[in-house]
Amino acid sequence: MEKLLDCVMEIGERMLISGGEVHRVEDSLKRIFDAYGTKRTDIFIITSSMVVTVHTSDGKAYTQTRRITETSADYEKLHRLNELSRSICKNRFSPEEICAKLNDIAACRKYPLWLEFICYAVISGVFTLFFGSGIAEAAASFIIGALVRLIILVCDKFVKNRIFIKFLSALSATALSYLALRLGIIPTVDRVIIGAIMTLLPGIGLTTALKDLLVGDSIAGLLRTIEACITALAIAAGYFIVAYLTGGSMI
Amino acid sequence: MTEIIQLSAGLIGSLCFGVLFNLRGKRLPAAAFGGLLSWGLFLLLSNVIPNEPVNYFIVAAAASLYSEIMARVLKTPAAPIVTTSLVPLIPGGSLYYTMSYAFESDFGKFLEKAVSTLKLASALALGIIAVTALSHVLFKKGCTK
Repeated sequence: MEKLLDCVMEIGERMLISGGEVHRVEDSLKRIFDAYGTKRTDIFIITSSMVVTVHTSDGKAYTQTRRITETSADYEKLHRLNELSRSICKNRFSPEEICAKLNDIAACRKYPLWLEFICYAVISGVFTLFFGSGIAEAAASFIIGALVRLIILVCDKFVKNRIFIKFLSALSATALSYLALRLGIIPTVDRVIIGAIMTLLPGIGLTTALKDLLVGDSIAGLLRTIEACITALAIAAGYFIVAYLTGGSMI
Repeated sequence: MTEIIQLSAGLIGSLCFGVLFNLRGKRLPAAAFGGLLSWGLFLLLSNVIPNEPVNYFIVAAAASLYSEIMARVLKTPAAPIVTTSLVPLIPGGSLYYTMSYAFESDFGKFLEKAVSTLKLASALALGIIAVTALSHVLFKKGCTK
C-alpha cells in the first residue's frame, strides 16, 4: 500500500505541475484509490501542496504530503497522465508497473526551442494586427516577441523568481517598443506593446483562478487569483518604469 | 477585411499558444480551430448584442461545449482545449489600457477599464463553468468499477 500511495502521489504531483486543475487531480486520485478498494480516502489539494491519507481495509492509515513549487502548462503530459490514471482504474497495475509508465511519461518530448521563439514572435505580431494596426507595427512586434523569449531564456539561467522574470520581460518589451517608436519605425506604440506582452499575461491564470473559486476550491482559487494579480502588477511595473523614463508620450 | 485578419489572427494565435502548451497530435488543430470558432462567434454576436461581457459569456460557453465534445472524441481533458480556444478573447488590450490610464493618473477611466477587464475575465470563467458543470451532471464520466 505504501508503495502504491507513493506512485499515486507522484501521478497527482505531476498532473498539478503540468497544469491540471485541482478538482481534476483530486477526482483522479480518489478514483484510483477507489479502484484498489481502500476503505476511506482523504485528499486535500491546493496549487502548492497535496495531502493524502488512505485507510486500508485492515485498519491501517497511510499519509503522504507533497510540496509543489512550480507549475508550467504541459498539456501533452497532462493528457498522458490522465490516460494513465484511467487505465490504472481499469487494470489495477502494480506499483512497479505504474512507476515504469510514469518514467515513460516523464520522458515525453516538448516542441523544440526554436519553434517556441517563432511562436512568441508570431503571437506578438498577430495580436498587434488583431488590435487593428499596420504591417510596420506587426513586424516590430514580431521581432520584439522573439526577443522577449530570448530575455526569458537568459533570465531563467540567472533569476530564480518567476515574477521578477515577468517584470524584466515586460520592461524590455516596453523599452524595445519605445525604441522602435523613437527610431521612427512605428507610428504608434500602444498596439505593439499589447502584442508583445500578450505572451506574458496571466489571462489563462486568471480564468482558471475564477473557475477554481466558482467550483468551490476556494483556497486554490484565491492562491491563483493572487498569483495572477501579482503577475499583472509585475507587468504593469515594467511598463510604468519605461513609460515614466520616456516621459509618457503615449496614446 | 478586418474580420478576415482577426479571424486568421485568432486561428494562428491559438495555434501558437497550443504549441507553447505542448499540445500534440489531433489536439493541436482542434484547439486552433477552437480559436477561430470562438472569435468568429464573437464577431457574429457583437453585431446582434451590444454588450461585451454578455458576448464573452456566450462565446466562453460555446467554446467550452466545443471542447467538451472534442474531449470525448479525442479522449483527453477538456480544459487544455478550452483555454487554448479562448486565447483571442484574453482581455489583453483592456488590461493594457487599464495600465496606461493608471499611468496618466486618469482615475475615472482607470476604474472604468479595470472594472470592464474584470467583468470580461469573470464572464469567460462563468461561461466555461456553466457548461463544465452541466456536462458533469449530464455525463458522469470516469472509470467503471
